[in-house]
Amino acid sequence: MEILMELLNADNITMKFGGLTAVSNFKLKISPGELVGLIGPNGAGKTTIFNMITGIYTPTINKIYFQDRDITGIKPDKIAKAGIARTFQNIRLLENLTVIDNVMIGFHLHLKSNLASAILKFPNYVREEESIYHKSIELLEKVELEKFKQEKAGSLPYGQQRKLEIVRALATGPKLLLLDEPAAGMNPQETKELMSFIQKIQNDFDLTIFLIEHDMKVVMGICRRILVMDYGVTIAEGNPAEIQNNPEVIKAYLGVDAIYA
Amino acid sequence: MKKQNEKIFTILALIVLGILVYLAENNLDAYKLRILNLSAIYVTLGVSLNLIYGFTGQFSLGHAGFMAIGAYVTTLLVLPPYYKEMIFILEPLVWPFTVMKAPFIVALLLSGLLSALVAILIGLPVLRLRGDYLGIATLGFAEIVRIIANNIPQVTNGALGVKGIPEFSNLWWTVGVAVFTIYIIKGLINSSFGRALMAIRENEIAAEVIGVSLTYHKVMSFAISAFFAGVAGGLFACLLTTIDPKAFMFVMTFNILIVVVLGGLGSITGTVFAAFLFNFSLEYLRPIEAGFNIGPIVIPSIPGLRMVTFSALLLIVILYMKNGLMGGIEFSWKGLARFIRKIFPNKKSSEGSVM
Repeated sequence: MEILMELLNADNITMKFGGLTAVSNFKLKISPGELVGLIGPNGAGKTTIFNMITGIYTPTINKIYFQDRDITGIKPDKIAKAGIARTFQNIRLLENLTVIDNVMIGFHLHLKSNLASAILKFPNYVREEESIYHKSIELLEKVELEKFKQEKAGSLPYGQQRKLEIVRALATGPKLLLLDEPAAGMNPQETKELMSFIQKIQNDFDLTIFLIEHDMKVVMGICRRILVMDYGVTIAEGNPAEIQNNPEVIKAYLGVDAIYA
Repeated sequence: MKKQNEKIFTILALIVLGILVYLAENNLDAYKLRILNLSAIYVTLGVSLNLIYGFTGQFSLGHAGFMAIGAYVTTLLVLPPYYKEMIFILEPLVWPFTVMKAPFIVALLLSGLLSALVAILIGLPVLRLRGDYLGIATLGFAEIVRIIANNIPQVTNGALGVKGIPEFSNLWWTVGVAVFTIYIIKGLINSSFGRALMAIRENEIAAEVIGVSLTYHKVMSFAISAFFAGVAGGLFACLLTTIDPKAFMFVMTFNILIVVVLGGLGSITGTVFAAFLFNFSLEYLRPIEAGFNIGPIVIPSIPGLRMVTFSALLLIVILYMKNGLMGGIEFSWKGLARFIRKIFPNKKSSEGSVM
């Protein structure tokens, strides 16, 4: 029998900014192949959790483990190398670079050529560039962005930019993908497409996905496990049905009176 | 156009450039040669500043400092030992500088290497800063270098400066170094390394979570930039034949910055163009400082009016031409062929197929 190892283990982490506790005692274990959702009102500390997992912040108390390796306080680029990729709530593309460059940069951490061979365009470097170019095209074809490859990333429509950001994250070859509000700003039709897209990439790339989302349709539709946060504290955890009927969650989202109304 | 053809065209262009340099060296007077030499040195300086500022997005104002390091290293290496004894009158030059002597090319290389080494040491802490803060910190570095040069007469001859440096720099050297700089930096930015630098410029956080190491790429870019600034400093010293700390004040960095901004951030072609434009206008605008008449209005002689003209030009470029005077167009043989075909649509259609 295969021993199931946790892919990610956030062990009671707390993040303080001066006197403000943004996240307190956050506990989460994610097993390989899961699709976990994180919801909560604005300012609940959801993105702070993503920032701690990807190394942009270092938790004030306790540690985060990825594949049983302590990744607390490691720089973001090293964490990306370990196999965690993410997207951002406010899309962060390399706007003035072309779409294809945006994807090719995703392969950066797998490059083997050194600086000298890159400057002098040695054959091994040229071969490597060609290979990541083709891989990038393949990725773009999967999301039907291939026809935009020479466009500037910043000139794409909003929905396409979101897709491109996910593709760029996929190019890093992650084991764990963090999606920060992937459906933000999308219309219902786009949201529907996004849901199937997320499920598709999870299967195709053998991914574990952890996502933040405000759109309940998305979260309830594709996540089998959901965490709810409010004011930095995890107030509920369970499957969609449990979450929908949890009084604490209703209180956080709709206010105290809603329960008694 | 095929890659092979592009290479041939590049080689042909270099040969033409070589012939031009040869003709210039033999036919032009010292005054014109000086302007051309300075322009070529500014190309090296501008292109190297563009690497760190235009392509990596790190606002560095330390170029004068790196130039100063390069200038003094080259000077100390090329001056004959007996001559050093003669001119260091404030304090005698300390060993081992008294006996050091190296050929010009070795001196230039060592100038660049020492600048790069200093850039790595400075860059590791300073490149954590962003935007204006980085600008101020690097500006501070350049001033520190200048003040140190002023205060260690046993190495630099202090504020007196060093005179009588052998005039090794000629067009072959200055243009050669400029071409080499362009070749290396262009190769760099068109590589995966350059892509990472531009990713940092576009969005640091995004670059970092994709797996681009900020420290490594920023420091490397800074060091390579400093290397060429150091080499340019050495050429500069051997062109003017006299250096003193005052030559490396903030104005020096500012001049290079003008060249880079006029030419366009992230445009090598623009920088080359602006470097020549800047140095030539600086000379040809001299008459306006002498005072002139616009109809009945008499403009008196105002020293420094040239720089006012440049400041005004800079403002216009920043406001209305964000991509610089060249509009961000990068020279390429493909682009040139397209351009020629556009001008002569009939004549060139047959040649187009050849290309």
